[in-house]
Amino acid sequence: MPVITISFDRIAKFFPQRRLQDVLDIFPFLGLDIEGVNDSEVRLEYNPNRPDFASDYGIVRAAKGLLEIETGIPDFKLSKSSGTAVNVCMSTKTIRPYIVSMIAKNGYLDNGSIKQLISMQEDLHSIVGRHRIKASIGIHNYDVIKFPISYTTVDKEFSFAPLGESLKHTISEILSTIDSGKTYGRILQNTERYPMIIDAENNVLSFPPIINGSITRIDPNTTNLFVEITGTNLKAAEDILSVISMTLYDMGFRIYTVLAHLDGISKETPDMGCSKIKVETNYINKLLGLDLHKSEILRCLRKSRLDGELVSDNTIECTIPRYRTDIIDDTDLVEDIAIGFGINRFEATKLSSALHGNRSYSSRYLDLVRETMIGLGLTEVVNFNLVSRRVHYQLMGIPEPSNMLTVEKTKSIEHEILRERLIPSLIETLSHNIHEEYPQALFEIGKIFRLKDKIQEYWNLGLVLAHSKSNYSSCKSIVQTFMKTCIGKEISTKTNQNAMFVLGRSSNVIVDDMTVGYIGEIKPTISSSFKLRVPVVAAELNLSQVMSLC
Amino acid sequence: MTSFTGGPIHPLEGTVLKALVINDKLSIETLARNTGLGLDQIRRAVEWLRLKKLVRLDEITVISLGKSGYLAIQNGLPERRLVNHLKGDKSHIGDILNTGFFTQSDSHSAFRYAKQNKWIEQVLDDSGKKIFVLTAEADSLSAEERLLNKLLEMKNLKVSELSPNEISSFNSLKKRDPDYVIERKLSDESIVTILEDGKKFLSSAKISSQIFGPKNKIQIQEQHEIGSPIDVEAPVRFLFPGRIHPIVNLVKEISEIFVGLGFTEIEGPMLQTSFWNFDALFTPQDHPAREMQDTFYISKIKDDKFATQDQIRKVAVSHNEGWGYKWNIEDARGIVLRTHTTPITLKYLADNKPTKAKLFSIGRVFRNEKISYKHLAEFTQVEGVVTDSVVTLKDLMALQIEFYKKLGIKKVKFWPTFFPYTEPSLQTMIYNEKLEKWVELFGMGIFRPQVTRPLGLENPVLAWGGGLERLAMLRLGLTDVRDLYNNNLGWLRSIPRCPL
Repeated sequence: MPVITISFDRIAKFFPQRRLQDVLDIFPFLGLDIEGVNDSEVRLEYNPNRPDFASDYGIVRAAKGLLEIETGIPDFKLSKSSGTAVNVCMSTKTIRPYIVSMIAKNGYLDNGSIKQLISMQEDLHSIVGRHRIKASIGIHNYDVIKFPISYTTVDKEFSFAPLGESLKHTISEILSTIDSGKTYGRILQNTERYPMIIDAENNVLSFPPIINGSITRIDPNTTNLFVEITGTNLKAAEDILSVISMTLYDMGFRIYTVLAHLDGISKETPDMGCSKIKVETNYINKLLGLDLHKSEILRCLRKSRLDGELVSDNTIECTIPRYRTDIIDDTDLVEDIAIGFGINRFEATKLSSALHGNRSYSSRYLDLVRETMIGLGLTEVVNFNLVSRRVHYQLMGIPEPSNMLTVEKTKSIEHEILRERLIPSLIETLSHNIHEEYPQALFEIGKIFRLKDKIQEYWNLGLVLAHSKSNYSSCKSIVQTFMKTCIGKEISTKTNQNAMFVLGRSSNVIVDDMTVGYIGEIKPTISSSFKLRVPVVAAELNLSQVMSLC
Repeated sequence: MTSFTGGPIHPLEGTVLKALVINDKLSIETLARNTGLGLDQIRRAVEWLRLKKLVRLDEITVISLGKSGYLAIQNGLPERRLVNHLKGDKSHIGDILNTGFFTQSDSHSAFRYAKQNKWIEQVLDDSGKKIFVLTAEADSLSAEERLLNKLLEMKNLKVSELSPNEISSFNSLKKRDPDYVIERKLSDESIVTILEDGKKFLSSAKISSQIFGPKNKIQIQEQHEIGSPIDVEAPVRFLFPGRIHPIVNLVKEISEIFVGLGFTEIEGPMLQTSFWNFDALFTPQDHPAREMQDTFYISKIKDDKFATQDQIRKVAVSHNEGWGYKWNIEDARGIVLRTHTTPITLKYLADNKPTKAKLFSIGRVFRNEKISYKHLAEFTQVEGVVTDSVVTLKDLMALQIEFYKKLGIKKVKFWPTFFPYTEPSLQTMIYNEKLEKWVELFGMGIFRPQVTRPLGLENPVLAWGGGLERLAMLRLGLTDVRDLYNNNLGWLRSIPRCPL
């Protein structure tokens, strides 16, 4: 989850009338987790559905509402059209088709706000822009740009001086040598043409989504900004632009629109118009378990920096500012009303619905199996379902089947395939415990996976006995006693051949003419590849099958 | 160790002491026979008593013929062989010794011991030269020869029973060749002698009259009824009983809480389609959690029949309208290792459409994580849902408080949070007394209409859940989550069943 750092100095500046602790205490009730606090700043984790929390301005906006310092729709005014334009070239359509932009003037950037702006840009890139794929942001010094600008495409020999470099580089060089080129270059795979934003004097503003040009870089002396968002998803681009517009407005900038011309059609951005969603008061109270009066609901909405008016006896029409991209329907509004009301003010009620409960049949059955095994003196271990091919097949001397269930792109070779049997995991457990006192008698109840026509999952019971005198008979004796004690059935055993077991000391376990498992002495070559120095005997039973016999 | 001042003794020690009251001295073997105990038990008890200075142990050493001894019996000791040669041959003694009948060391001892036994003496021959001749003594046996013969006859002789002469012969032979006579200890015949302190101890313990013996039935009975004092502070063996894994115990405990609150357990497969794991839960198809970086997808397999046409169509509408993109059925076909147990819940609700239900599930879930002290690729999730015509966020909070109270957690608070499939969404914070801080635990919320509507669920569904491992770690005092599943037998055998 994304994290934002806010200095106490800035909190003091934003909340001159409040004690620091009072402000910190309100944060969790906005859905912000306090990840860490030190002497000078607090680190807050916010949920990715709230991109407006990517800067402290957004958090302050929300906190002021909950503290009732400022409520309702936050102040925002769009200044009249700037008249400036972006000409969009058709060639961008198949590569990165959307561009939205705006101009912010007469603002003042100090180090603190520049820091917030940069970290906001990074967070928006990853949360909304999906790591710049859906949308990416360029923030430029407006004063050095000669309008109109064009959003066009170039070939890979095109060169310019990217941000942080004094010399010109070609597109190829940027993609192969500069960090952001190497990281984000794959977004522009399979193309000969590359998107480029160029001003009227052919200066490069940006090579989206890779890097800005060096000419338009911003610093603490910059007072006028040009912000452009390009992307493959228009909604993402517009969402980001609305959040940045709101933030810059809060920083003291005046926001001007920009016209984008494409194929004879012009579009003015940003569109900061509020949306309206109706919500029934009954629905609110029914979902929350509260009995809020209409006026109280309106107050809660305003505390969440929304607004509303009563349009009928039962219905409130809510107004939602453009930057609240997380609100898609009335259910979302109910949550904002709950937050405005104060989650800490909810009083727990007594539960009414009386129902009888029980554990599932298989849980109860597996507990009986467990109890029987404990009685036989075995200790339960719990291993993972995902195992390594090396342990499961190679070290066990079992050939890998073609229908192995493999997972994609695992981060560890310990978790490569779904296990087909429990014994290898148990043998591995023994090998981790060679320094512990013997005898060691272990069992595991776990799922095993098979792919036949479709994927099958079974509950199995695996057991291993390891000590100097363990042998086939001692294991058969446990299996036989288990079956008699647990389900009251006799077993018979029939010799078989199994890659894990010594020939002639290996059998199938049969109950009621059905083969439900197998027993055998582990081959010494296998034991020694697990560094085991005592004889090991093992058994495995299909509990799903055994269960069907009771 | 200073002399034993009292205190309890082990029953084996008591038995040995009592047996020694009748006979001050007994061999280990006899003690075993008289008490009915095993030799090992007697040896152990005697060793403890010896350290407490209550008994003395005299070990029995016996001697017998060695390899060289048998050869000497057969061929004679070197001095005997020299004498025999001199008898048949009048040649010069020096010639005999140098003719090759003797090794160099044998020739030295032959001459030395023949002289020492006074079997030869030096005289002047006719020409006035000094020569050695046999004496009358040469026919009688030397002390060494007598000892060898006696050993041949008796096999073993106790060192303690040898005469002073025999002892000096034994020592002399030992010095000449350690293989003439072999010495060894007979531990079973070692003699145990009760010391004065032992007798005093017995009388002070006022049990000296209860002499333990297999033939004395009355006394055996008394022994059982009263029980003699023992060294109750002595260490004894640990046993390793069969045990249930601690995480399974926690699962059972939590299941019981659920059942107590009227919940019924449901379960289902670990492998799920993306549809039930994500799409039906209103998780957008480009959500980062759906990437292979975070979720385990099964290679090469897709599912064709995972839901009804109606369900698929309505889920598609939810996504298209709610998220503003074109939902793609292909992305719903992939098979994943469930990232939570919620698909089980959802499938159950979709199949059974209960208007009123309380359900829970506990099971393994998977994330494609790099393993660390904080993260596992597999962990255990617990989940509860309630559906009814009137269930509210307040009910959900009340349920949480009740649930945690049963787990012994009294301080609980709630904060807003976000999940794609619930709205409103809250997270629980619990206060941990040991860590003295608030710890994040389960998440919860009310299923969004975008989740319930496509499945034909009319009533609101409250849901909460989360990983069990954090709770287990707090309970078991672990700081590394891997320790829960590495099956270290030392830990499994020693962790208390009832952790505080």
